[in-house]
Amino acid sequence: MNELHIPLETTKLENGLRVVVSPDRTAPVATLGVYYNIGFRLEPRGRSGFAHLFEHMMFQGSEHAGKMMHIKLINSSGGVLNGSTHYDVTNYYESIPSNAVERVLWLEADRMRALKVDDENLRNQRDVVKEEVRVNVLNQPYGGFPWLDLPPIAFCNWANAHNFYGDFADLDAASLDDVQQFFRTYYSPSNAVLLMIGDLTPEEGFALARRYFGSIPPGPPQPKADVSEPPFEGVRRGEVEEKFGTLPAFAVGYRAPERRTPDWYALAMLDHALHGGRAGRVYRQLVLEQQIAVDTGGGIQYPVGDLFDYNGPTLLVSRVLHKPEYSPDQALEAFDAVIDAVRQHGIEQGELEQVKVKFRSEYVSSLEGGHGASIPRYGLMHYLACFTLFDNDPSLVNSILDGFLQVTPEQVRTAAQLYLDPHRRAIVFRKPTKKAAD
Amino acid sequence: MATVQMPDPFAQVPSLGPERPVVWPARTRRKLANGLEVVLVESHTIPKFTGELYFRSGNAVAAATAKTPGLAEITATVVRTGTEKLSSRQIEEDLRRIGADVGTSAGADTSAIGFNGLTEFSADLLNLVAELARQASFPPDEFERERRQMIEGLRIARTTPSFLASERMRRVLFGAHPYAIIAPTETQVKEYRLGQLVEYYRAHYTPGNALLIAVGDFASPQMMEQIERIFGSWKPATVPVVPDTTLPELHGRHVHLVHLPESVQTQLVVANHAITRKHPDWLRLALANSIYGGAFNSRLIMNIREQKGYTYSPRSGVHALRQHGYFSVNAAVRNDVVAASLTEIFYEIDRMRSLAVAEDELSDARTYMSGVFSLGLATQDGLASQLSTVYLNELPDNELETYRQRVRALSATDVLAAARAYFDSANAQIIVVGDRGQIGEQAGLFGGVTEYSAEPE
Repeated sequence: MNELHIPLETTKLENGLRVVVSPDRTAPVATLGVYYNIGFRLEPRGRSGFAHLFEHMMFQGSEHAGKMMHIKLINSSGGVLNGSTHYDVTNYYESIPSNAVERVLWLEADRMRALKVDDENLRNQRDVVKEEVRVNVLNQPYGGFPWLDLPPIAFCNWANAHNFYGDFADLDAASLDDVQQFFRTYYSPSNAVLLMIGDLTPEEGFALARRYFGSIPPGPPQPKADVSEPPFEGVRRGEVEEKFGTLPAFAVGYRAPERRTPDWYALAMLDHALHGGRAGRVYRQLVLEQQIAVDTGGGIQYPVGDLFDYNGPTLLVSRVLHKPEYSPDQALEAFDAVIDAVRQHGIEQGELEQVKVKFRSEYVSSLEGGHGASIPRYGLMHYLACFTLFDNDPSLVNSILDGFLQVTPEQVRTAAQLYLDPHRRAIVFRKPTKKAAD
Repeated sequence: MATVQMPDPFAQVPSLGPERPVVWPARTRRKLANGLEVVLVESHTIPKFTGELYFRSGNAVAAATAKTPGLAEITATVVRTGTEKLSSRQIEEDLRRIGADVGTSAGADTSAIGFNGLTEFSADLLNLVAELARQASFPPDEFERERRQMIEGLRIARTTPSFLASERMRRVLFGAHPYAIIAPTETQVKEYRLGQLVEYYRAHYTPGNALLIAVGDFASPQMMEQIERIFGSWKPATVPVVPDTTLPELHGRHVHLVHLPESVQTQLVVANHAITRKHPDWLRLALANSIYGGAFNSRLIMNIREQKGYTYSPRSGVHALRQHGYFSVNAAVRNDVVAASLTEIFYEIDRMRSLAVAEDELSDARTYMSGVFSLGLATQDGLASQLSTVYLNELPDNELETYRQRVRALSATDVLAAARAYFDSANAQIIVVGDRGQIGEQAGLFGGVTEYSAEPE
């Protein structure tokens, strides 16, 4: 029942570029991606928001494809494209009819070889990014909650604790030199993986990869970066004003274990028992039964990442929006009672078995889609990339489920006691400045 | 010594190979004796299946007949909270046990029970869907909780610029038609009575009003048998008909300013009446929209994002409701470029209306539409969504199979005609949501201004 056999072929070019092909003939389409092993954690100091701004610059022109050509060539081939910046990776991807595979590889290789941008492009994208921050954060109820609010409270190392979307002053300070320097440092074939999924054979994929990427110089070795955090001590509390929404809210962050350790598998199951939809304990208790909260959610790296796509210190996050007739302390107390119960009693065997079936079901769905119907196999691409860059083993995509399905109730209870520690956590409160009319 | 010149692979953009054919998955369609229409498509990408049980009634009929906006939505929400056999908690834990999700919702024209789950538990999931559709028990305490949830959700929505803009746009375009209302007021929600929900459920959740679409990893004959067994005994009932209402006639451009104090950005919408999905001009209009502002490399996005940096994510769209449709342009822009952005939005609209599209731009746009369509065939969800469009809008059975071919046949004349008919520049309604003090004068350059508060009417 749990066996996955997604076909995979991998190779590595002489310049260090890793290539993964997964053939799938469902429809005459393919999803291609290039993932670089660099995210916003490692952007330069004094340049908050730079990794994301840089991602925008990758669409502004390369040696043979000038401004607007990347977008135009993909759309006019019948495809869609985008990129996104994460903690530890940045991706560029295209979903296209399979007759356009070669054209996409030409484009991706051209911008891996030589980015060609000017001050005008940088000014333009800086303006675009500021409007992005306004529409997603500054002019939105609960904008940035809790993904921008928690890190500065929970972490000590600037790499993990800074504002990833960027202060506007830092965005303004970014120069073309910064762009080229960042490109030279991190955007090399030896720091990347190329993924090809869909209507093509591994032989075709490898031959095209060699043709277009083979002659790109390997690039310098990656600088060693220190993203380590001192042991988490004490309860760190913070407050952020909520200018729009009228509901008080809080989020709690607990330090999560390293990926692929026994504790990590167990904590993932516990996370689902707590945050898995309307059956999850937090939602059931706080929203459905006690009716203190209006909405809850949570997860490892919630809400901007998931269980698999990080490679450094991270948090198990729980987020609660509650009714104004309860004080934040009352709501937190109710939340703590839910956590206390799993620390004391763990979860039942039956509950764990349900969680495992649901986890398996959601995992296979995320491989098939994972990003809306217009990017087929986004999730498969994303996980293959992370397992390649972080673990050097893309075949984990087929075998990783086993680790979760072997978790025992005792391991869940131990993980609860170790990680959901009320004396070692970060809590941020969103305080509405407006009162609800009643 | 002769030197061998290796051809530079980067010298030229690789050409596209021929478009590859689609292998159409088997489709089974049947109407059961009680009137339930069933459409099944096999897709063996993952060991799961997905689908929707649609009822062809939504918030519009509730607003028109019972004068209760949002009644279809609250009904759908409460449907999942209890049946004659199962409590709310049992439903949720059952779903987790079989690895499934259910979502109940309502839009203007439909109410739906969406589902997806593992094929190995398909009978359990379909039984649960049938129970929700036939034997929902509407527990009073669940209803009261969901009522409060809805009120809090509305309060948050009312602080969101995009919600305020959509709300105003729909009121302006649709006037007395129920499509004018996208959400109830708090007072209306407080006045809902449980009996109204039950009445709505009895009248509209009936097999003759329903369409069941399922896509996934199953054998169609066995799946059809299972569906007949589970849904066959559902009793038919007559379905109320939704009256149509004429729309307001809109003469001249007008500005509708929703004042949102201290807003650091302005949400712009430009909109006018258009057509339904069944209209013979639909595909022409969709292509015109794709060239104007529907794709990343469209004219509008290249202009106000990539050249001018006014906005992050501008988009235009053609939106079809069952009885009417509309065209709209959306952009969240910097406060000091409201007038500049509107100028470019209208410049690009007028260009679409006055000049024929060049052959290469036309051909690129046709390839884009056809390609994006093919992407939707690669996942179970994508297929389910395309099938819903076909059968909810009563389009021909071979709509999907002929789609790429019909797109390829569209000409520059088609695009020009569609733009002239449905990008109604002269009578466009302009909605701006932002701080009056910062944007009022700029907006006033484009027409008479009516101002609204962000508070509900």
